[in-house]
Amino acid sequence: MDSNRFKLLLLGGAIRLYFSQTSLASLIGNRVEFATPLNSFKRLQEGVFLLQQGVDPYSGDLVHESPLLLKALSYILINCAQVLPLLYILFDLCTATLLYLLSNTFVKQKLQQQKGECKEYAKDTEELQYNDEDKSTIPELVLLAYLFNPLTIMSCIGLTSTVLSNFLLALILYSMVKRQLLISIVVLAFETVRSLYPFVLIAPLILLFARRSIPMAIAIFMIFVTSCFAVAGANFLIMNSWNYLDGTLGFIFYFRDLQPNIGLFWYFFTEMFEHFRTMFLITFQLNATVLYLVPLSLKLRKEPLLLATVLIALMAVFRAYPSLGDVGFYLALLPLWRRCWKFMAHGFVVFAFFLITLSLMGAFWHLWIYAGSANANFYFGATLAFSTGQIFLITDLLFAHVKREFCLYNGQKIMIDGEEARILLE
Amino acid sequence: MVCYSNKTLTVPANFCLPNGLWKQEPVKMGLLSDPSISTHNKLVDSLAKHMRKLCYVFYTAGVVWFMCLALPEFNHGTYLSENALSPGLVYPEIRIDSNRLALQLLEELQRERKEHQSTTPHAWILGKFNEFGLETYIHNYTLRYPFGGGKEFHGKNIYGILRAPRIGSTEGIVFSAPYRPPSSVHDDISASVPVLLTFAEFARRKNYWAKDLVFLVTEQEQLGMQAWLEAYHDGDKKYDTSSSYLVPGNLPARAGALQAAVNIEVEDLEIDYVDVKIEGLNGKLPNLDMFNLVQRIMAREGVTSGYKQAPRKKRRTNYSTYEQNLRQMLAMLSAQTSGVPSGNHGLFHRYRIDALTISAAKRVTNSNVKSNPSSAAVPFLKAIEGISRSLNNLLERFHQSFFFYLIVHNDRYVSIGDYMPALVALIACGFVKAYLIWSTLDAPEHTSQQDADTNPPAVYLKLTLPYGSVLIYLTVSVVIGYMGNVLPLQKYLISLPIGAGPLTVAMLMAINLAGFALPFFLVLPFGGLELLHISLLLIYSCALIVIGLLNFALGFFVAVLSMPMIVALDPNTTNVTLRGLARLWTLLLNPVVVIYAVVLVLTFYQFPELAFQQLLLRAATAAMDAVTFALIDSVIYGNWLYFVACTVFFPLWIACWTLALGRRGDNTISKTKLKTN
Repeated sequence: MDSNRFKLLLLGGAIRLYFSQTSLASLIGNRVEFATPLNSFKRLQEGVFLLQQGVDPYSGDLVHESPLLLKALSYILINCAQVLPLLYILFDLCTATLLYLLSNTFVKQKLQQQKGECKEYAKDTEELQYNDEDKSTIPELVLLAYLFNPLTIMSCIGLTSTVLSNFLLALILYSMVKRQLLISIVVLAFETVRSLYPFVLIAPLILLFARRSIPMAIAIFMIFVTSCFAVAGANFLIMNSWNYLDGTLGFIFYFRDLQPNIGLFWYFFTEMFEHFRTMFLITFQLNATVLYLVPLSLKLRKEPLLLATVLIALMAVFRAYPSLGDVGFYLALLPLWRRCWKFMAHGFVVFAFFLITLSLMGAFWHLWIYAGSANANFYFGATLAFSTGQIFLITDLLFAHVKREFCLYNGQKIMIDGEEARILLE
Repeated sequence: MVCYSNKTLTVPANFCLPNGLWKQEPVKMGLLSDPSISTHNKLVDSLAKHMRKLCYVFYTAGVVWFMCLALPEFNHGTYLSENALSPGLVYPEIRIDSNRLALQLLEELQRERKEHQSTTPHAWILGKFNEFGLETYIHNYTLRYPFGGGKEFHGKNIYGILRAPRIGSTEGIVFSAPYRPPSSVHDDISASVPVLLTFAEFARRKNYWAKDLVFLVTEQEQLGMQAWLEAYHDGDKKYDTSSSYLVPGNLPARAGALQAAVNIEVEDLEIDYVDVKIEGLNGKLPNLDMFNLVQRIMAREGVTSGYKQAPRKKRRTNYSTYEQNLRQMLAMLSAQTSGVPSGNHGLFHRYRIDALTISAAKRVTNSNVKSNPSSAAVPFLKAIEGISRSLNNLLERFHQSFFFYLIVHNDRYVSIGDYMPALVALIACGFVKAYLIWSTLDAPEHTSQQDADTNPPAVYLKLTLPYGSVLIYLTVSVVIGYMGNVLPLQKYLISLPIGAGPLTVAMLMAINLAGFALPFFLVLPFGGLELLHISLLLIYSCALIVIGLLNFALGFFVAVLSMPMIVALDPNTTNVTLRGLARLWTLLLNPVVVIYAVVLVLTFYQFPELAFQQLLLRAATAAMDAVTFALIDSVIYGNWLYFVACTVFFPLWIACWTLALGRRGDNTISKTKLKTN
C-alpha cells in the first residue's frame, strides 16, 4: 500500500471521527434503517449492564450479541467507553484495508488465469479482460467504495455491530482469496454462530478449496461444523448456560422482534394470521438462505468470489434484520467485477432507486412516527422499493457476468448477414 | 425476485450458437433478463433525441391531471369514517340563558378592554374561570427575540382544566381562544373569550365528560400558543435554555394526553358565517374526519360554514362549478405553501393533535336577515357543544380518515392517491431527463461504425467523469446556502445597528452574490458539467418528491414553476440566443427574485391603487419583512420553509446557474482549480 492509500484511509477515518463527534451519531444510532434489534448499540449497552449486574443477558428479549463479543466489548465499555467509537472506526478501516488487499490479490489471480485462457478469447474483447491497469484501479475503487460510502460511514458512526460483521466478512473473503482455508472456516464459524445467515458462505469455500473432490468437500464441511460447535462451546464456557443460543440464533430464526427495518420480514409478520406463522417463517428463512444457494453454486462454480459476493448481497436483502451497513458492504465489492460493468444495464436506474427510496424512507418515517399522518404502509412501500432496487442490482450483476463470459469467447459483435444479431435466452 | 431465479438459474443462460438461437425479429424480453449484449438501446437513443418533448409531455400531463382534479369525476364526496364521532347523536342542551351570559361577559370584557389598551385583562379572565369552578392556572413564558438586542418579552396564558368526572385524567381536549388587545393590528375578535367562558360554564355543569377539557386563553397570537404547547409537552425537561429563543417554562398542572383541539375566534355574538381554518404548520392538515365533523354539526345547527367561507355577495359570481372548485384548490394550496399556520390550531399539529380553528365572522348590520341579539349566538354555541360531545366520544386518536387531502368544495375532497400522480408526473421529467442524459453520455451523436470503434468504450468514459470535483462543487453550494440559516443570527451581526429586515436581506444578498460568482471561480473540469447536470436533475427531483410528501403545496408549486426551466437547461447548446434566454430564465428563478415577484403580485392585488414605482418600493419592504418573518418562524415555530429555501433550493439554483453559464474547463487549457479524485 502506498502513501496514497494511507491518505485515503486517514481521510475515511477522519470523516468517521468527525461525524461520530456530532449529534448525527446518536441520531443514526436510533434510526431503524441502521440499527436493528440485532446490531444496535443501545442493546449492546443493555447487555453489558446486565452482565455487570450478574444477570443473564439472554434471559430477557433485549440482547442478541454473541457472548464472546459481548464479554470483550463489556471490558472496553466499562473501562474506557470513550475509545469505543475509535475502536469501531479502526475496525472499519481494517475492513477497508482487507477489502483492498483482497481485491489486489484477486486481480492478480485473474490476470494469471487470463494468461492461461487468453488464446481462447475472441478478438475484440480486450475491454472485457482484466489488464495491468486494473491492478491499481480496482483495489482503489473498492477502497473508495467502502471508505466513502455514506451507508458504511453512517453505520460506523452509529456504532452498530454491523461494523464487526463487515470486518469478519471481509476477513473471510480475504482468507478465501489468500487460500487460507483454516482461518476462513474458523471466522466463518464464528460469524455463523453470531448471525446465522453467513453459513451459506461455506458453499464458495467448498467450491474453492475442494475442487471436484467430494471427500475433500465433506472434510471441509465437517471442519466447519466442528468449528461451529467449538465456537458455540466457547460461548457456553463464558456464559455457563445455553440460553444465549436462543437469544442470538433463535432470535434471528424465529423473528421475534417486529420493529420496522429495511427488510421484508417485519411488515409481513405483523400483518399475517398468527397460525400461519411457522410456515411463513420457514419459507422466509429458506428464501434468505438456501433457496438461491444451490442454483447459484451450480452456475457460478468457477467464480467462488462472485458467488460469495452475490450470496452476501442476497443475505443483505432477505435476512431477518437487515441494516444499511450490510448494503454498504456488498456495494464495496462491486468494483471487483468492473469488467462486467459494460453489461450492467440498470446501474443508473438502481442508483436512482436507492436515492429516491432512501430519501423517502426518512420522509415516511417522519410522517408515520412523528407527524402521525402517514402509516406503516407508506414506509413499507419505500423499503420494498429499496429491496427491489437491490434485486435489480444483483440480477444485473449476474446477467452481466454471464454475458461477459459469453462475449469473452464469442466476441462482442456477432453479425448475421451484415446485421447485428439479437441474442435470446432459451 | 422469482423471475430472476427462473431465468438465470433453473433455465441457465445457454449462450451457445446452435441454430434457432439467432433471430432477427423483435422478441419479448424481460426487464431483468434482457439477453441482448449490446449496451446500446435504440429506444433510449431515439427517446434522447426527443428528450425535451418527452419531458414537456410529462409536465403537461402533470398539470392537466391536477386541473382535472377539480372535475367532479376526479374527486369524492366527504364522509365520516370514524364511527365513534357520531355527530349529532345527542340533543344540544345549551339554552338561551347561556347566550345571555355570553352577552353579559362580552359587556364586562368591553369595559375591561377600555382600561387594558395593549395588555390582557388577566385578572378578569382568571376571576371568571375561578367563578365557574375550573382549576385555573397561569402559564408564564419568555421570548428572547433574536433581533431584540437581548431584550426579553414576557407573556401569560391562562387556562382552566375541567377534570373528567368519568375517568382519570388520561386524555384531554383543548378549547382555546386567542385574546387580542384593542391596540392589535389584527381583526377584533374580542367575543372569543366570552364564548369560550360561556361554554366552560355550561360544560362545568355536565357530568358526561370522559376527557379533561382544557379552556385556554392565549395572548400574543401564535407565540402564546406555541409556548403553551411546548410547556405542556416538554416543560418538565431540563435543557439548556440559554440558546433557545422561546423559553416556555413549565405548567403548574396538566390534563391527559391531548386528543384534539378547537380554536375559537369569534368577531361578534351576532354571527354571519363560520370559516373553518385547517392549514397548520408546514402545510399539515388535521384529519379530514375532524373537518367533516365540524361541517356536519354546523349544518345541523343551521350555521353557514365552510372552508375559506366568504360573506355571501349580493350578486352571485358567474364562475362555473369547475372554476370555483379549481379556485378553491389553488387557494388551499397557496395557503399551505408558506407553511405558516392560518390560525392558532396549526401549532397543535406537530404534537400529533388534530386541531382546527372555527372563525366566526360578524354579521353586517344592514343585512336583511333580522336577528334577535338575545339569542343570536345560540346556534353557534350549540355547534360547539355538539363538536365537543363528538370529540368526547373518541375512543382513540383520529386515524381513520385522510391526513393528506385537498378540499375541492365544502363537501368534496381529493385524496393523496389522486393528487400525487400530478406531482409524480412533474417530477418524472427530472428523472427521465437524467436517465437519458446518462445513457447517451458515451454515445456521440451519429457516429459511423468506424468512429464507434475508435471512441473509448462506455465504461471508461463514465468512470473518468470528475465525480470528486462535482461532489466538492455541490458541497460548496450547499455550504453557501446553509450560511443563510446561520449568518443572520450571529451575535456580532445582530449587534450591528441595523434592523432585522435589512440585516437578513443583506446576508441573503451576500450569499446570493457568492452563489452567483461561484461558477466564475470554480470551473469544473472536462465532463464536469454533464455530471453536474445529471446530479442536479437527480437531487432536484428527489428533493421535490420529499418536499411534496411533507408539504404537497410547496413541492407542487415549486415543480410547476421551475421544471420547465430545468428541462430547457442544456449546457451544450451552441445557439447564443437560446443560451442567453436560458441564463435570463435562470436568473428570474433565483429564490430571492421569486420571493420578490410573489410579494409584488400579492401587493398588487392588495393595493391596486398604488403607482408602479410605489408598488415596487412597497413590495421591496414587504419582501424584506417576509424574509425576516420566515427566518423567525423557522427558529421559533419550526417552520422549515426558510431552511429549505436556503439549503435546498438555493444550492440547486447555483447548480442551474452554473449550467446556464456553461463555462467548462478544457482538456488542453486546464484551468481547473479542483483536483479530480
